[in-house]
Amino acid sequence: MSALSVENARRAYGAKVAVDGASLRLEPGRIACLLGPSGCGKSTLLRLIAGLERLDGGVVRDGERVLSGPGVHLPPELRDVGFVFQDYALFPHLTVEANVAFGLKDLPGRERRARALAQLERVRLADRAGAYPQTLSGGEQQRVALARALAREPRAVLLDEPFSGLDGRLKAEVRDATLSALRGTGAAALIVTHDAEEALHMADDLALMQAGRILQTGSPRDCYLRPVSMDAARLLGEANAVHVEVSAGAARTAFGTVPAPGVPDGRAVLMARPEAFRLDPAGRPATVRSARFGGARTEVVLTAGDAQAHAHVPSRDAPQAGQTVSVTLDESLCTVFPA
Amino acid sequence: MTLAATVTPRAPLPWLKLGAAAAALLAITPLVAVVLLAVFGRADAALSPALIGRYALNSALLAALVAVGAGTTGALAAWLVVMHRFPGRGLLAWALALPLAAPAFALAYAYADLFDVAGPVRTALRDLIGTDVPLNLRSLPGAAFVLSAAFYPYVYLTARAAFVSGSVCALEAARTLGSSPRQAFLRVALPMARPAIAAGVALAVMETLADYGAVNFLSVQTLTTGVVRAWSVFGSAASAARLSLLLLGAAAVLLLIERLGRKGRGYNATSARWRALPTLELTGWRAGLATLYCLLLLTLGLLLPAGWLAFKAMGAEPELPRLLGAAARSLGLGVTGAAVTVLLASLLAFGARGGRTFTRLASLGYATPGAVMAVGLLTPAGLLWSAVPGAVAGLGAGVALLVYAYAARLMAAALEPIDAGLARLSPSMTRAARTLGESEAGAARRVELPIARGALLTAGLLVLVDVLKELPGTLILRPFDFDTLAVLADNYASDERLAQAAWPALSIVLAALVPVIVLSRQIAVSRPGAPR
Repeated sequence: MSALSVENARRAYGAKVAVDGASLRLEPGRIACLLGPSGCGKSTLLRLIAGLERLDGGVVRDGERVLSGPGVHLPPELRDVGFVFQDYALFPHLTVEANVAFGLKDLPGRERRARALAQLERVRLADRAGAYPQTLSGGEQQRVALARALAREPRAVLLDEPFSGLDGRLKAEVRDATLSALRGTGAAALIVTHDAEEALHMADDLALMQAGRILQTGSPRDCYLRPVSMDAARLLGEANAVHVEVSAGAARTAFGTVPAPGVPDGRAVLMARPEAFRLDPAGRPATVRSARFGGARTEVVLTAGDAQAHAHVPSRDAPQAGQTVSVTLDESLCTVFPA
Repeated sequence: MTLAATVTPRAPLPWLKLGAAAAALLAITPLVAVVLLAVFGRADAALSPALIGRYALNSALLAALVAVGAGTTGALAAWLVVMHRFPGRGLLAWALALPLAAPAFALAYAYADLFDVAGPVRTALRDLIGTDVPLNLRSLPGAAFVLSAAFYPYVYLTARAAFVSGSVCALEAARTLGSSPRQAFLRVALPMARPAIAAGVALAVMETLADYGAVNFLSVQTLTTGVVRAWSVFGSAASAARLSLLLLGAAAVLLLIERLGRKGRGYNATSARWRALPTLELTGWRAGLATLYCLLLLTLGLLLPAGWLAFKAMGAEPELPRLLGAAARSLGLGVTGAAVTVLLASLLAFGARGGRTFTRLASLGYATPGAVMAVGLLTPAGLLWSAVPGAVAGLGAGVALLVYAYAARLMAAALEPIDAGLARLSPSMTRAARTLGESEAGAARRVELPIARGALLTAGLLVLVDVLKELPGTLILRPFDFDTLAVLADNYASDERLAQAAWPALSIVLAALVPVIVLSRQIAVSRPGAPR
């Protein structure tokens, strides 16, 4: 199967530009997550790929074939792209089985039924085949929506905030079920989410989006440890921004010195994850402004000189507010950006 | 969200939009014709200004009396049924809407006869107290009583919907803030339902102004009887149109009230969660009184008049060929009218999504009395009758015109349930169908229509009932000798052959009762967020 690619996609509603030159590549058999805050244009990008909306500029391609582009718009029903909607959009007048079989109308009856049931089996809902969607729980509805999208064995399946309607424990359960169902197909999957933890957990490939643009793509690990900007770093979790002076490829702060290869001398910004701060007798002194217990870890606010930072330390040896501690910085969790 | 601006299946196709525009145009054309006819029609002295003044005064008084009568009785019944538990409540909840099956003129025949000088009520009273009690129903207060009994269900239904739909949370909030159930009703539920009650009263007043059969039989001269007389007695379309202008003005005001009341519903449904309404258990004499009150309303609106008509009918052999012919024509017109109206209303619903202009135009038609609608179609009717030679073709053209009049008047009524049905359809359902390989037309056929099917049926039933009961418009527009049940009843009644009139009148009630029961039960079980 060929890869789906989006190149320089643009979509505006009047003066508001929802997608502003976004590029993305979806590989068969891999799960990609598109992470961004509410209103950053990620759902619009998803609908552009599915053909539910027209591009204002750029191209959506399947291999060499143009699906959307200047003067070209293949309607959604001909794209072979599955879609799981945020509200699931199950058809209330059809049973669960008929919902799943909806897209299989070209198959003979017996085969259609077998395929629908096999899909339901995969999401462990075969026993609810005759039920109507309204009678199912939220998690079950989500699985039916997934089974329905996968039944046509599409080249790609797009999921728009598929877990947002579910609560905590159920969410983790449905997430794992979704992952295993997606892994069972050779389709490329793209999951849109605003939940960083969810994206890091699920993605083979991660794309960070903000204000209509893709900030960074890469493995979750790369994106987390090697953000390309402060914005990209903040999308994936808490990040301290500490003003630093760089000279000779090293950034000096009151908390310690970290290498800054390739950053020109002068003012710069150090991005440090809260867990980059280690309590270490060999480190530099810092004052604990406040400490808040949070289970396995304690969140402390540290000051050293005129710099301040949020740090996460193991609760077992957490300091008290007012104490002076000595800390080191873990270089692998820090990045220096030119100011 | 920015969904409205997207190229999605929700954005109507150009031809659907065109269809919606055409439907709205159809509804509005007769009204424009009335205005043109009134302004440019040849002046004649068929109706003196003094006479017109008297008609207008009678209409206004009647409207005011019915507003109070139907408003208070209907709203009280709704409050009792929604907020309390008493014996028979479950049955009465939907049975209270059943008088909608009875045309107002059927009630007028029955009550005029019951309260006649020689009728059973006054005879019994005379025997009891020795003197005659002048309970003459052939008077303005009498007509107000009859029309209130016929039209209270409009208020009952809208008020009940308002009490049921949203006040649960607000009521509970009021309780936690220290109000007793009664105070919570007076301070929260009633103010919240007030716009809806006003809307229901507006509907009842619209029907009052549109009524011809009942007031004509009870010898009360109103604007609508004036319109019919101006045409059928004086043959003056221009005079009929001028009277119609007054009715149109009143209709526009009422429509405004009704729309504003409907807007008020917006703040009701704050919680989508389904919860049992906190009802108050009535016991002892209070429970008895509540049951008695609701039963009395139902009796006055349907059971007593229908029963008396049935009793009268037993005393006469029906003229079966005429009756059956009229029944066939009524049903034929009803079914055809329902089909055409639902088709046009569907065009309006699917094509006008997002835009409200077309539906507003169509609702103007709904507020227009049938007699006025007919006057607006007189000019095209005259052209048709002179242009189409031959009796059969003329008949076809005449029937088509009648169906047009019904559709123009009832399109907005049919639109309402269809719109509500489409609200069940989220835009992502249509999109889901598209990503599952359906074309736009396929998505409409396999997803949108099946989901809206129940709503289409409801709309059709609503139209059917109204067409069965319609009299003045049919009287004006019908081809020569083309009697419907309502026209037949009116003919017999104006010849004082009440026993004969009872047959077609009761036939209408029986035919309309089935759809009304279906509709009423449907409304009774549907609550926002309720498990289906």
